[in-house]
Parts: sequence; C-alpha cells; structure tokens
Amino acid sequence: MQKIVEVKNIEKIYGKADEKQYKALSDVNFDVEPGEFVGIMGASGSGKTTLLNILSTLDTPTSGQVQISGQDITKLNTNEMADFRANKIGFIFQDFNLLENLTAYENIALPLALQNTSSKKIDPAVMSISKKLGLTDILNHYPTELSGGQKQRVAAARALVHDPSIVFGDEPTGALDSKSARALLDTMSKINHEDNVSILLVTHDPFSASYCDRIIFIKDGEIGQELKKEDHTRGEFYQEILDSLGTFAD
Amino acid sequence: MLNKLALSGIKHRMRDYSVLFSGLIIASAIFYMFMSLATNSSFLNANSPAAATSFIYGFGAVLLAIITIVYINYANGFLLSMRQKEYGMFMMLGAKSSKISRMIFVETFTIGAIATLIGTVIGIVATGFVSQLIIKSLDMQVKHFNSFYVPALLSTFAFFIVIFIFSALKNSISLRLTKVLTLLHMDSQPVRIKKNKFLKAFQVILGIVFLAIGYTAIIMMGHNPVLIYLGVPVALFTIVIGTYFMINAVITTVITALKKNKKFAQKGLNNFTLSQLSFRISDYTKILSMVSIMFALALGAITVGMGFQNQISTVVNGQAYYDVTVNNINDAQQERIDKLNVKEETTYAYKFKDDTIYYQSDEFEKVPFKYQKFNMKSMVGETASTKKPKDDASYELLNNNLPRYRTAKVEMVDKNKFDTINAKANSLTLVKTDSFKQNLTQIKKINQAEQKRFPELKQAGASKYDSYLLINGFFSGLEFMGLFLGIAFLAMLASCLMFKILSGASSDVKRYNMLYKIGTRTKVLRSNINKEIAVLFAVPAGLGIIHVLIGLQMFSKILIKPYMNIEIPFGIFIVLYLGYYFVTRYLYKKIVLK
Ligand SMILES: Nc1ncnc2c1ncn2[C@@H]1O[C@H](COP(=O)(O)OP(=O)(O)O)[C@@H](O)[C@H]1O
Ligand SMILES: [Mg+2]
Repeated sequence: MQKIVEVKNIEKIYGKADEKQYKALSDVNFDVEPGEFVGIMGASGSGKTTLLNILSTLDTPTSGQVQISGQDITKLNTNEMADFRANKIGFIFQDFNLLENLTAYENIALPLALQNTSSKKIDPAVMSISKKLGLTDILNHYPTELSGGQKQRVAAARALVHDPSIVFGDEPTGALDSKSARALLDTMSKINHEDNVSILLVTHDPFSASYCDRIIFIKDGEIGQELKKEDHTRGEFYQEILDSLGTFAD
Repeated sequence: MLNKLALSGIKHRMRDYSVLFSGLIIASAIFYMFMSLATNSSFLNANSPAAATSFIYGFGAVLLAIITIVYINYANGFLLSMRQKEYGMFMMLGAKSSKISRMIFVETFTIGAIATLIGTVIGIVATGFVSQLIIKSLDMQVKHFNSFYVPALLSTFAFFIVIFIFSALKNSISLRLTKVLTLLHMDSQPVRIKKNKFLKAFQVILGIVFLAIGYTAIIMMGHNPVLIYLGVPVALFTIVIGTYFMINAVITTVITALKKNKKFAQKGLNNFTLSQLSFRISDYTKILSMVSIMFALALGAITVGMGFQNQISTVVNGQAYYDVTVNNINDAQQERIDKLNVKEETTYAYKFKDDTIYYQSDEFEKVPFKYQKFNMKSMVGETASTKKPKDDASYELLNNNLPRYRTAKVEMVDKNKFDTINAKANSLTLVKTDSFKQNLTQIKKINQAEQKRFPELKQAGASKYDSYLLINGFFSGLEFMGLFLGIAFLAMLASCLMFKILSGASSDVKRYNMLYKIGTRTKVLRSNINKEIAVLFAVPAGLGIIHVLIGLQMFSKILIKPYMNIEIPFGIFIVLYLGYYFVTRYLYKKIVLK
C-alpha cells in the first residue's frame, strides 16, 4: 500500500548564506503508513516544529524530498501548496488557532467553505464530526465562551471535517490541563482506530506520546531511535518511553 | 535599558511609524496653511468686499481645529495600538508602570513635536505653491499673499503643543490604568455582537425618521432661505443621529441577513469576511458616521465653492447685457472688436446738451436696445429688449456710456430733431459676444484701451469687465476656502479611517496567519482584505454622497444651479478617497500578511 508520508534525506538550514547559519534538521528519514498514529518526540528546540512545518508545506527543506500520498510536496508552487494544505492536511495547533470572530460551527465549516463545497454538503459534514467529538451543544458558541479543552476539540473537528489524508498535531495538548488533554487524546485515538485517519503528533510529553502506535525520537535535528507499541498496553508503553528518554538523553 | 528596548521596538516598526508620522505632518501642514489664510487679515480684507468672509474663515478655522483634534486622536490610537503589547510585556517583566507611562508620554510628545515642526515647514512651502496654483488656475484676484506668516506659525505651534500634551497624557494614563494582562492580550478580546432584534428594528426606524427630518429640513431651507437659522442646527443634529443609527443598525442587519444565507456565507471566506465586518462595524460606528457627515460637509463645501465659481458668469451677465461698449469707435478698437466672436454689434448715435442725452428713435426702431431686467418673482435677471428705453433700460443705457453722461436724462428724438440739436455727434458701439467668459482676454484688452482713451473710466468701473473683476474677487475667495477646507477635510478624514483600520491590523495578524496555514491561497486572503476594507470605506462615502446630494437643496435659492459641474468636486473626492483606500489596503496587507 502507498505510504502516507515518505521523508527522504531532509535537511533544513536556517539563515542565509551570508548570515549565521543554523542546521535545524539533518538527514531526516522516516515513513508513515496509512492509518498509523505516529509520534515525534524530542526536547524543546530539537527541530520538531521545523519538521512539521516542512511536512505541511508551510516551510521548504533546504534539501531532501517529502512525499505525501505519493505527491512530492517540495516541488509545488505557492498556490498548489495552499490547495494541498486545504485538501490533504488537517492541523491542530498548540494554541488552538480558532478564529474568535466565528462560532464553533463556522470555524469547523471553514475548510469546507474554502474548498467551495456546496452549502448542502457542509452542514451534514460539520454535524457528523461534531457529534463524534461531542460538540453538538456548543456549536453556536464563540471560542471565547469555550474552555481550553472544548476549543481544542473544535480545532480537532476543523482538522478532520474535510477528510484529510493526514492530521498534523503540534503539541496539541500543550495548553490543556491533564483531564482535557486525556479527553482529546482519547478522541484522536478513537478517530484513528475507527475511521483509519493517519495522525502525526509532535510532542515533548511522554504521556501524549503513549497514545501513538510508533514513536520517532529526534534530537538536535537528527532522528534517533524508534519505539513501537506493538501489543503493549498504554501503561507499559508509557514506561518504555520514559526509559528510552533516559537513555536517549545521554 | 528600557529606553533602548523601546527605541528598538520603534525601529522594527519603522514603516508603521512613518505612516503615523506622515499623517501627523500632513495634519500640521494643513493647519498651518489654513491659519496663514484665516489669521492673515490683510489678505482677507484685500480679497473680500464683504466683512462676512472674515467670519466665514473664522468658522472654518474652528471646524478645522475640531477635525484636527479628532484626527490626532485616531492617529494617537494607532500609536497606542502599536505599543500596547510591547509596553505590557515590559510591565509583566517588572517595569514600573510610572516608568512606562513616562516613556509613552515622552514618545508621544516627541513624535508630535517633530511632526509639527516638519509639518509647518512643509505647510509654508505648500502654501506658497498651492495658493499660486489655485490663484492662477481660477483667475482669482488674491492680493497680499505671504506664505510665511508669523501669527499663523505661532497659532499652529500652540494648537499642536496643546493637543500633543493631551494625547501624551491620555496615552500614559490609559497605559497606567489598563491591567497588564489586558495589554498582553489586547487582540484576543472580541465583542459579541448584540443580537437584540427588537432594539435593532427600533434603531432602523429611528435612523430613517431622523434622516427624513433632516432631509426635509434641508429641502425646506432651500425653498425658504429665512429658515436657515433654525434649519441648519436641526438638520445637523438629526442627520448625525440618523447616520449613526443607520450605520449601526442597518449595516449589522444586512450582515446578519447575509450570514443567514448559507449559500452565500459558506462560500470561501465570505463567512469570515462578514464576521470581521460585523465585529468591525459595531466598533467603527462612531468613526464611520463621523466620517460620512464630515465627508458631506467637505464635499458640500467644495461643491458650493465651485458653485459660486459657476455663479460668476451668471451674475456678471445679470449686470449688463452687452459685453463691450466703445465710445466714438476708432479703427484700433474696431480691429479688436473684430477679433471677438461677435453675436451682435450695434452703434447708436447720440448728442449731449443741457444735461440731456439724445438718441435717434429710428435707430432704436431698427435695432432695439437689449438690457437685463430683474424679475422680482423668480429673483433672476432676464434679457429684455425695448425700442423706447425707460426705467431699467434707460438706466442700463446710461451705464453703458461714459461716466460724465450717467446722470443725464435720456430722450428719444426723430432724425430731423436730432440733426437740429446743436452739439457734437457721438456714437456708442455695443457688442454682445457668444460668451463673455470665453472672450475674456480680448474683452480685457478692449476695456484697457477704452480706459486709455477715456481716463474717466478708470475710476468709474462700471463696465461689464469691471463688475466681473469685483464679482470674481468675491466668489473666488469663497471658492478658495471651499476648496481648501473641503480638500483638507477629505484628506484628514480619509486618513482617520485609515488609522482606525490600521490600528486593528495587528490583531488580525494571527487570524490571517491561521487562514494561511489551513490552506487559504494568498490571493484569496488578499481579495478578502480588499473587500473588507472596501466596505469600510464605501459605507461612509455612500452615505456622505447621499447627504451632499440632498444637502445641496439648501442652496437651491442661493445658487442658481447647485448641481452644476458636480462631477468636478465628486471627481476630486473620489480620486483622493480611492488613493487612501489603496494606501490603506496596501499597508494593511503589509502588516497582516507577512
Ligand atoms: N525561523 C528560524 N530561524 C532561525 N532559527 C530557527 C527558526 N525556527 C527555528 N529555529 C531554530 O531551529 C531549532 C529548532 O526549532 P523548532 O523546530 O522550533 O524546535 P521544537 O519545535 O522542537 O522546539 C531551534 O534551535 C530554533 O532556534
Ligand atoms: Mg515547537
């Protein structure tokens, strides 16, 4: 089966030739299979956001190749990149990034409206994803009237409403209390299992990471070891992550 | 250390600061320019026969002062919006609020002072340049005009120093009073639009009623100028309130209705644009209504000013029928007359004896004398012709002649009697051209030559050309002020709106960045911004234009054709306004789409 994400020899250098240069990523290689829930873990400053920005066409690599659903995204022009993000990718950001002048419903509907989906199809799509995420009661609220956890679930609904090939999350639980974080991760994991949505989650938090099928460790811009959940329970996997963080940090 | 940080903050926002700076410079330049006219009494007295003009200029100065204060207030808001977050951060990091408020005080005042200095210098240069331009292009009679005028300079400095001290105080107090957290999250504080349908409907009705009262007052004033003292305040009051309600209620109602239309709302970014607008409009109601009222005044001032210019020909033509009169014509004068586009040319013979001036009745039988008759009913002059000049006609006939005969008695006699009168036979040549205005330069030459031939004409000044000079001088003064104030108002108001919009830009950065991330093409974002700003500009412009079109009714008795040449002031208005629109959306995009 075709891989969802294929990253080959990616390198990212910040700073122009005449400025101070900083190598944020070097020789990064990995894949994501369809329906997989992959975590990328690393300390702050290790290059996670940089990597995610490249995967989501918000930034371009200095060298290397990224294929998403078989399409080489490093060769797209800016319009194609925008369309690609609109059609193929769902985003969940740490700081929610909801538009506070739109209601929850309107926020969720936005990606569909951007694709010029007919308004007849928008409503059922929004309703079905909202039901799955338990948002039906708050659809007419504005973001300021919602709790952090609710906001993040609205953001998740927005990321999922247009059936993207893959959902990217950059520390989506970073601004949530532990209870809301757990609820969000449960939902994401449920959607991953039931609807076979591929998810790539970037985090420095072992607890969040324990929800993933597979974890790729990144340090100083380089991929280190990989950890697979196989048929461990989440608790066992969590312990395993903590152990390898101990060794990986050295 | 903090000062250094604050300075580097300014450096990072150099472009925004230069917008603010040039805005302030323009304000002080305009203020100086007007002051150099309004406080320059030698200029005023030389140019206007009526003492009223001095009052008109004083009134204009007050209006300009008010609009300048409002303008600086918006520019100041823009400055504060740029600095709030940064100063909030300093405070969070432990800087004392007294220190911070002192810093913003110094910053505001310094910016204001430097801008005023540069502005006045530009004002002096511009005054010289613009006044020459206007005086030449409109054939105005402006004497004693000196662009460097100390009282104007002093009043400009005094005015702006006071304003900037107040602005600086206002900024430092508002920073001191706002909580650090609010400062830091200034941009994420949306206001929910109030959705009280009953109140909205009530406001719509109220708006329409007030506008109707205002417009009726204007039309009534037009029919009966005596009502002006009561009508102007009533109209101003009701139209201001009506406009406020119209913008507040009608526009938000329209937006809500559009949002309800799913087909429209759920297309691309429409929903986002509508939401942005509905949040904005309720926040902008005050400025939008103010801008539309002021636009109406400014546009009205230009239109009426130019209306007076159009009036010149009409008034001049109402003074006398014939454009040129020549006594005892000689070859040189005949040659000059031949260069005119002559429509009619008549020569009457006359003799003067014993305080009586004799004309031949058969000459008048052949070519009747034409004159301007004042119609008491319609209040306008109309052309009449007569074979036996009496009253008005004989008065005008005398006025066409040399001053020494003007107190004489007119008598019509037949040819035989005329020949027997023992006096020198003279002739009076009367010429009517196809257009007084278009033949002006040639008429001027004939007039000058005639004055050389008969020096007594120099003092008398009763020729049509002389009355033209007088009337032109008066109306040009009015027009000059209408144009100047009108354009100054337009420029400042449009930039008030610009500053208001740009003040909100920094809080939009995050929104547009998010839209970009989830895959909105930059082109779509751009056109969305264009649309949004276009609506914000169009609302006051549209209302303002309606106000002017109806407001001109007020002048239907004073101006003969109040709507004549209306496309010129509207053209100026649209060009200026579009200019501001394009600058605003350019700067907005620069701030928002990084
Ligand atoms: N635009 C940029 N210019 C220069 N350096 C950057 C830029 N963005 C990130 N970096 C650097 O690249 C490294 C990785 O950053 P990032 O990907 O944000 O890390 P993480 O998300 O894992 O915390 C950091 O050292 C950061 O300072
Ligand atoms: Mg990061």
